[in-house]
Amino acid sequence: MTSQSRLRRIGWFAALAVCTALYLMLHLKVHSVTSEVVRAERQIVALEQQKLLLETEFETRSNQLQLAAWNRVDFGYTAPSAAQFLENERQLASFGSPRAIGAPEPIRVAGGAGTEAPSFPKLVSPLTGEPIDEALVEPAGSLSGAELAERGTMRIPLGAVIGSASR
Amino acid sequence: MNALSVPVQVAAGRIQLVDVRRRALLLAQLRMLMVGAAFLALAAAAILRIAWIGVVEPAPHQRSMAAALLPPRGEITDRNGVPLARAFPAYALWFNPAALDDGGPPLVQSAEAVAARLKAIFPDLDEHAVAQQLRSGKAGYLRRRVLPEDANRVMALGELALELPRETDRHYPQGSMAAHVLGYVQDGKGYVGMEAALDERLNDPATRGEPVALSIDARVQGALEDELRRGMLSVNAVGAAGIVLDVDTGEVMALASLPEFDPNRIDDEGRNYVFNKVTNQVYELGSTFKPLTVAAAIDAGTITDLSRRYPATPFHVSGFTINDSHGMGASLNAPEALIHSSNIVTAHIVDDLGPTRMKQVMADLGFNERPYIELPARGFPIWSSGNWPRLRAMTVGYGHGVAVTPLHLATAYATMVNGGIWRPATLHKVAPGQASRGRRVFKASTSARMNQLLRMIAVYGTGRNANAPGFRVGGKTGSAEKPGGGGYNRSSLVSTFAAAFPMDQPRFVVIAMLDEPKGTVASSFQRTAAWNAAPIVGRLVPRIGPLLGVLPDETRDVDLTDLKPLVGDSE
Repeated sequence: MTSQSRLRRIGWFAALAVCTALYLMLHLKVHSVTSEVVRAERQIVALEQQKLLLETEFETRSNQLQLAAWNRVDFGYTAPSAAQFLENERQLASFGSPRAIGAPEPIRVAGGAGTEAPSFPKLVSPLTGEPIDEALVEPAGSLSGAELAERGTMRIPLGAVIGSASR
Repeated sequence: MNALSVPVQVAAGRIQLVDVRRRALLLAQLRMLMVGAAFLALAAAAILRIAWIGVVEPAPHQRSMAAALLPPRGEITDRNGVPLARAFPAYALWFNPAALDDGGPPLVQSAEAVAARLKAIFPDLDEHAVAQQLRSGKAGYLRRRVLPEDANRVMALGELALELPRETDRHYPQGSMAAHVLGYVQDGKGYVGMEAALDERLNDPATRGEPVALSIDARVQGALEDELRRGMLSVNAVGAAGIVLDVDTGEVMALASLPEFDPNRIDDEGRNYVFNKVTNQVYELGSTFKPLTVAAAIDAGTITDLSRRYPATPFHVSGFTINDSHGMGASLNAPEALIHSSNIVTAHIVDDLGPTRMKQVMADLGFNERPYIELPARGFPIWSSGNWPRLRAMTVGYGHGVAVTPLHLATAYATMVNGGIWRPATLHKVAPGQASRGRRVFKASTSARMNQLLRMIAVYGTGRNANAPGFRVGGKTGSAEKPGGGGYNRSSLVSTFAAAFPMDQPRFVVIAMLDEPKGTVASSFQRTAAWNAAPIVGRLVPRIGPLLGVLPDETRDVDLTDLKPLVGDSE
């Protein structure tokens, strides 16, 4: 056997070994990521259950019977009467009285409200000093997550988690 | 020889060399093939594995999390998503004397010491009873529904005999509130209320992840129960029932039957109270029927002139005399008859209407069948089939001779005030625009007239105690003697107030009913509905009105100017 062919043979084996090692490393990496995901999920489930527990406890401690009992003994709140409600501006204006004769003129501020007033100041970035684009401040995709959360006990937006993981 | 042999030798050497070379080549090719095959096999295995993961195996993380978060039984919420019943992972405290398994005493410490330490964790524990149970050496529950942090503290006691099995439990955060609507769960099966009606859906793995929204509003339910209980206790009534119904969709906003039971802890005493007075118990609801009678007469055209006067002197019909509770003068018109609740005039109105038409309207209002609601317990009305004689129709006209549930009455009142459409009551939340089509019973004009008349009863008549300022309440009292001992029992009444608000655009019907109220200081020693049931509605409506989107406004009301002169002398 020539030294060249032996070298080549060693080379092949080395390539095979490197490939196998790389494959093994990839395999292990995949496994570690999978187990990390599983652990994160377990944590999520545990936190969800804890949340359920706390929420239920809160609901139980603040149930209607308890609130009524507290109100009766401690607070004594009553339902607001009709006089405490205002239907519209007209009703509000009806409480006013016309200015008495000889009363001083109401003070008018120069350059009062109207078109000349500056618009509401925009949020300025602390880094650049430039006004921030409002679209950046809005939490993107929060609506879909909230919508999913609205759907019930499955408070985790499962679709969103899986969707972002596969992206 | 030699010369000959050398080439042969050489030839043999060359042949051998060729042979070696060929063999080496073959070997190399074979090895190459093997290496190639190994790579191919590896690739094939990888591809197969990928195919296996992609096609056969379900994605593991999706399955595990979804399965872990799927409740063992679906959640029930109110219309705003407030949980009313939920599956609750809890621990139980179980005493297992065989846990140590060494033939010795089951506990490391003495029973008294363990009981004392448990008492430190659960302050409401009966220390003596627990010590006795631990001493007896019998396995059993020491406590159910242990919170996780308490469970950890029990574990820290180091007693192996105290086991903490995990149990899935049904928990009702609102306690006894809406008990008759919800029912209870025992051994995974729902009983009595919506737990029974929705049993299949709540258990189905495909649907139980999604909570079921009822039409109930927890705040309204709480207010209704609070006011009913207060009213019931203040007049020593044996029971009370109440319902708040949306007139346009038939959604039940609140439904209460007192005394109630605690679905969190159902025992023999609680089982005595599972009977639902709103949907299952039938009563003769007395004068609350009179507006329905008048509506039927207006609808049929036998009352065209509301100022027409009817005699109000005792009315003799087929050997029976119809009387009023007190004298109301020689004659009354229809609005006055409602305001003063006259049986005699109502009987005359029915006489004009005729028994056939009267029976038809009562049947159209659903008084001849069980009430429409999802609850399993629905009472069948006492209803006489066949042709009604004249007297029967008259007594039905003022609420005797036909016994219906308070739910029937609420549905009928909703029909009367909402423009004349009868709709079945429902405990499911109805999406906007998805309400049942219903059937027409009264004309819209009749309904508008009845709204005026109901409002008049609350402004000038027996319903004044229910007239919450600004809420434009209208309604009718009814105090009927309970049947018993072959006739009517003079001492036990059922007093009802059937109301709707706001009468200029009716949105909700409220029924409050008291079973056997007594005359007490709170009711000015009166037993009639005007003094016990009407004030309940008067206190309830301001509490629930703003929650249901009805804001009080003293500048609005139904136009009563055309009817006011007819009852001018009443105030």
